[in-house]
Amino acid sequence: MVFRCRQKKGKVCGAPGAAYLFFITLSLFAAVATADAGAAEEVRSLSRERTWQVLMHYRQQGDRFTSLIDDPKFFLAPQGKTDPQAELNASLEALLLPVEIDDEHFRCRFPARAEWLISVYNLNDLALPQPHCGKLNETLTSVDPRSVVLVFPAAHNNGPASMFGHTLLRVGSSYKSPLLSAAVNYAANDTDSNGLLYAFKGIFGFYPGYFALLPYYEKLNDYSGVEHRDIWEYTLNLSPEESRRLMLHTWELQSISSDYYFFDENCSFMLLFLLEAARPELRLAQEYWERRSFWVIPVDTIASIRRAGLITDVTYRPAQATRIRHRASLLNEQGRQRAFAVAMQQEPAHVPTLPQNSREEERQILDLAAEYVQYRYSRQELPAEEFRPQFLSILKVRSQLGPGEVDVEQIPTPEQPEAGHEAGRISFGGGNEGHGPFLELSWRPAYHDLLDPDEGYTQGAQINFFALKTRYRLDEEDFRLQSFRPVDILSLAPRDLFFQPISWKVNFGIERLRLADESEPLAFTLNTGGGLAWELPAKTLGYLMVEGQVNATDRLRENVEIGGGVSIGAISRLHPRWKAHLAASVLTYLPERHSHYRLLFDQNFKVTRLSGITIRTNWEERYHQSQLGATAAYNWYF
Amino acid sequence: MKKLLVTTCLTVVAVAMASTSFAASYGAAGCGLGSVLFKDQPGPIQVVAATTNGISGNQTFGITSGTLNCGAPLYASNNQINNFVAENMDTLARDIAQGQGATLTAFAELLQIPAAEQGEFANKLQANFDKVFTSDQVVMADVIDNTVSVIN
Repeated sequence: MVFRCRQKKGKVCGAPGAAYLFFITLSLFAAVATADAGAAEEVRSLSRERTWQVLMHYRQQGDRFTSLIDDPKFFLAPQGKTDPQAELNASLEALLLPVEIDDEHFRCRFPARAEWLISVYNLNDLALPQPHCGKLNETLTSVDPRSVVLVFPAAHNNGPASMFGHTLLRVGSSYKSPLLSAAVNYAANDTDSNGLLYAFKGIFGFYPGYFALLPYYEKLNDYSGVEHRDIWEYTLNLSPEESRRLMLHTWELQSISSDYYFFDENCSFMLLFLLEAARPELRLAQEYWERRSFWVIPVDTIASIRRAGLITDVTYRPAQATRIRHRASLLNEQGRQRAFAVAMQQEPAHVPTLPQNSREEERQILDLAAEYVQYRYSRQELPAEEFRPQFLSILKVRSQLGPGEVDVEQIPTPEQPEAGHEAGRISFGGGNEGHGPFLELSWRPAYHDLLDPDEGYTQGAQINFFALKTRYRLDEEDFRLQSFRPVDILSLAPRDLFFQPISWKVNFGIERLRLADESEPLAFTLNTGGGLAWELPAKTLGYLMVEGQVNATDRLRENVEIGGGVSIGAISRLHPRWKAHLAASVLTYLPERHSHYRLLFDQNFKVTRLSGITIRTNWEERYHQSQLGATAAYNWYF
Repeated sequence: MKKLLVTTCLTVVAVAMASTSFAASYGAAGCGLGSVLFKDQPGPIQVVAATTNGISGNQTFGITSGTLNCGAPLYASNNQINNFVAENMDTLARDIAQGQGATLTAFAELLQIPAAEQGEFANKLQANFDKVFTSDQVVMADVIDNTVSVIN
């Protein structure tokens, strides 16, 4: 290693017009010339230093180091991905290379590494090559990094898959307005529109992930105005100097790709490295490596960042759909109807004779109408040619009414996402069913059940991955798998005057199927449905769904049966700690014609943030044989 | 009411974030250049629109994010204002009509309106909404120029 360095040293010194380099190089490698072993030891120990490890994204496992970055462009030494020492030597050489193309010099391309090397070797900056880093300086000037905010777009209402979430950083400048800051976003560079292919490639790392720098308002418009996701902003206590270092490291990662894995090496995990680069004492990624967790859930990283003492403040930025709902809630039914009619061009925005005392109401009506028109346009329910004149005509009338008296922007802040239960859940309990008493042990690595407490989650949304349920039957002393559902998603999105979403569900896996002979073999099952949901009084969500189910097992006469039917239910938050779900369904199966009637009443009591009790009761009839069942279980969230 | 042209100064300030090779590659596509010249001094705000130099500035309502692709100089003052208005035109119009909002506040800050005068700025724009948004085909450059003439 050292030998290679000395070889290169000759090359550096021999470069024309770099006389000043001679001294610095000489001094730097003097030790190398006199005591190879000592110098090698110094490089070795420096290459193990925290900052170097962080800047190169090394993960140490025993004596082995592997960088998480997959792009060879990120490394100067051929074996840099696995050899911190070789990479440090190569970087040192590159630092001393004479300038050929300004912006491509090591100091311009890897400024955080360069700064660190200069400081640990105590080099005289002025004696080093001085490239003019035009592009880097322009970026630093324009971004003007002063502060860093962690941004978390919450799930959108009817897309439980988005519950998994995303995080990005907002780099604040000397502007006061958050809209004028820059966003640092890590995302997979995907081009596939095929959902399954997208999921497959995402899970197995076939997409290159890139960091991107863009105006924050662009991300805000995407999330708030197009995807209708509320946004949480966590102000971090990074100093301006730390924020600058974060930008420098972000710069080093520009156009550097890493294989993007949805579950672990995802946006949220990669951002942890930027924060570590800003403050190398932080050990944020380590936690995820140590616990060997299957995935990194964005909201978990918020909790880690909070535990590291970085979060000082939280701001809630409601999405447009949330603002529309809030504005509608401030008006009476008549006002809402008029706002809707104005937005839909059924009534003119202008009222010729408006009594003075109804001006404020009219302002709120027009504000709501304008937002709703904008919403419809973002949903592509309105073509641009219709949107423009309609939007402008409402605004024109609105502007003549002067400033509003009520600050409708003051939307009540919901519970913060990380205030909710942890995503993993393990339950232990017991119950009784047709076959007699049993003990039940269930496990679910992620994410949120319809009955789990809603704080921090979307009400009416359920997304469970890899939910496993086992039972031990006491009388038969038989331990067995009861069900395993890799995917179980339910989205109940309430409809009102302004929003008419379709509620839906899909789940599949294996579960016990009670047959005519009262045996209960395991069967492959797939269930899906679509329907409507409404907000009812007393914090209740009612729904009606049409659903279909496919069951497959060799114990069925034709190996497979297909059923169709309806379900109706209501889920209610009776008390902040008490949720109840009442539902009924009937499905008729073919080819062996029979019906499956089901009635269930499930309740969940929240004990602490990380524990609760679930009580389930159900009655069902299948092949004209009915059965009652009840289970009680204690839940721990982890 | 001294109107001061500070073109040269602006050019110096306009250290653009020249199309960085960050992954979200922005092509150098039509960004307006509504040129705004201003000088802070006590009393009424002095903002003068010199000209919009006609090359582009043609973004109108209904720009959804990502379609504009204004990338090259991302954060230079002039282009920053242009891009901001172009990409946030709908919400800016709504905020102006309502007389308040985050987008209007950011716009005021970009125009270097002192915090104490932002209320007056908002009121003026609201009262003159149809002078700023003259038609549903109004383009970004006009919005900036109209704003500047309304508040002077």
